Amino acid sequence: MTREEIVEKVNALLSEEFEVEQEGIEPEANVKETLSLDSLSLVDLVAIIQQTYKIKIPIADLREIKTFNNLYDYIESHLPA
Amino acid sequence: MKYDAIVIGSGLGGLECACILSRNGLRTLVLEKGKQPGGCMQSYMRKGLRYDTGFHYVGGLGEGQSLHPAFRYLGLLDLPWHRLDEHFDRVTVGGRTYPFAEGFDSFARTLASHFPGERHALERYAQLLSNVERTDPVKLLETGAYAYLKETFRNPLLTNVLGGASLKMELRRESLPLFTFLHGNSSFIESSWRLKGDSSLIVRSLSDSIRRQGGEIICGAEVEELIEKEGKIVRAVCTDGNVYEGDIFISDVHPAVTSSWVKRSGKMKPVFRSRMARLENTFGMCTVSLRIKSGTLPYFNWNHYVYRKPNVWSFCAEDGPVGGVLVSCRVPEDGNGYTDQVDLLTPMRWEQCRKWEKTCVGNRGEDYRQMKERMADQCVALAEEVIPGLGGRVAERYISTPLTYRDYLAAPEGSAYGTRKDFRNPLLTMLSPRTPVPNLLLTGQSVVLHGLHGVTMTAFLTCAEILGKEEIKRILKD
Repeated sequence: MTREEIVEKVNALLSEEFEVEQEGIEPEANVKETLSLDSLSLVDLVAIIQQTYKIKIPIADLREIKTFNNLYDYIESHLPA
Repeated sequence: MKYDAIVIGSGLGGLECACILSRNGLRTLVLEKGKQPGGCMQSYMRKGLRYDTGFHYVGGLGEGQSLHPAFRYLGLLDLPWHRLDEHFDRVTVGGRTYPFAEGFDSFARTLASHFPGERHALERYAQLLSNVERTDPVKLLETGAYAYLKETFRNPLLTNVLGGASLKMELRRESLPLFTFLHGNSSFIESSWRLKGDSSLIVRSLSDSIRRQGGEIICGAEVEELIEKEGKIVRAVCTDGNVYEGDIFISDVHPAVTSSWVKRSGKMKPVFRSRMARLENTFGMCTVSLRIKSGTLPYFNWNHYVYRKPNVWSFCAEDGPVGGVLVSCRVPEDGNGYTDQVDLLTPMRWEQCRKWEKTCVGNRGEDYRQMKERMADQCVALAEEVIPGLGGRVAERYISTPLTYRDYLAAPEGSAYGTRKDFRNPLLTMLSPRTPVPNLLLTGQSVVLHGLHGVTMTAFLTCAEILGKEEIKRILKD
């Protein structure tokens, strides 16, 4: 899966599941702010990524994911071969 | 009329929340879809005897023990509790019986007499059990119970024996967290108790307290939608058209069912609903309730757990005859020393019921009846390892399966212990009482812990979201 495909799929998925406009999802925008995540809905983000990409994000790694670019990077580097 | 708090579902967790909130001055309403309140604490009458559905024994009711302050506050200590023998559970594996003794030191010592080489490991294990409420939950949640036992003890038979009294949780080595396992065992080792009477005594006591404190319970009220306005739930709509308005809503119903009620929401996004819908469920139980011929079976003041083979941690996933059974009996109420009722319980997976999933109570066909009878025969045969001749003393028997649970309790897949907690994924499987809608809370066995002890502690946790953690701490100070 190319980087472009990941970006496109993640944006479409998050826009639908979190009910936000796709235009608001900018690569350098803050994930938590854009998706209005609190400690509870952060778990929803972990769940949807795990379900879609079979990638389990540990809590420690979650702290490193601040922007959407960080999230794309994380998915790209952890995708099962 | 607007209520301060509306509790949906009148299982143990729902009734306990309503009891705590009404006692704290909140105008509280309980909505129950069934004809009578109680959920798994209901009992049913057959030929003059009442049979339990989900309750068999409880732990930690002694002075200074873990459940004592909560039950005292809820008024449940006044019920006729009957303490089990020092050897309260007896686990039979491979034809030999190993007793679980009351008190953490005795527990370790007694088992060490059967496994002398494991004395130190047993002492460490007992120490962990006695400290479970003060141990960092995160670590216990991320550790598998089976893996922990396997690493701690050299003798695999002991791993089977220590898991042997845990048919009261989903004994599944692939997922069961050490957190659930320790909490599910610890209070019983403090002390174990049966009720002299059936579990409807618990329901009646809580219902009376709720009403005395100004609360209401309405049966036959099946919620179909929760209406959200400006980011909060404002009313519950029932299938009979009745509408109930409230400030706070607590659901004691499965989280997937609960989130499906919030159809239009600015707070609850599709991602939450789909996460709840995807949660796996623990397996269900097949319960064989026996009416014993009068005066033929002396009362035994303990529970038997009997296994066909030393595969305690895996038998439930295997096909073939019933591999493990819990044998419990009713305390004689007339003091004659003989018991009239024995319950046999064995885990049953939803796959074993799927063939009849489209059927409803009383209308499942002859093949279903035959399957139940076959399972009951196997349960009785296994129980006869510890009670020889049991089958010949049975006057009547009544059999329920996960299908029964599903249809009476709105429990998806007839799950006996709610959603599955998984040590490989605690973040996603350990639910919080909070939902994305700030005034909609969850309680019951899918949240944090199951069982009488777990559900009660969860009810206080749910109410802490409303009354504050400090107030709940004050209430629970013994």
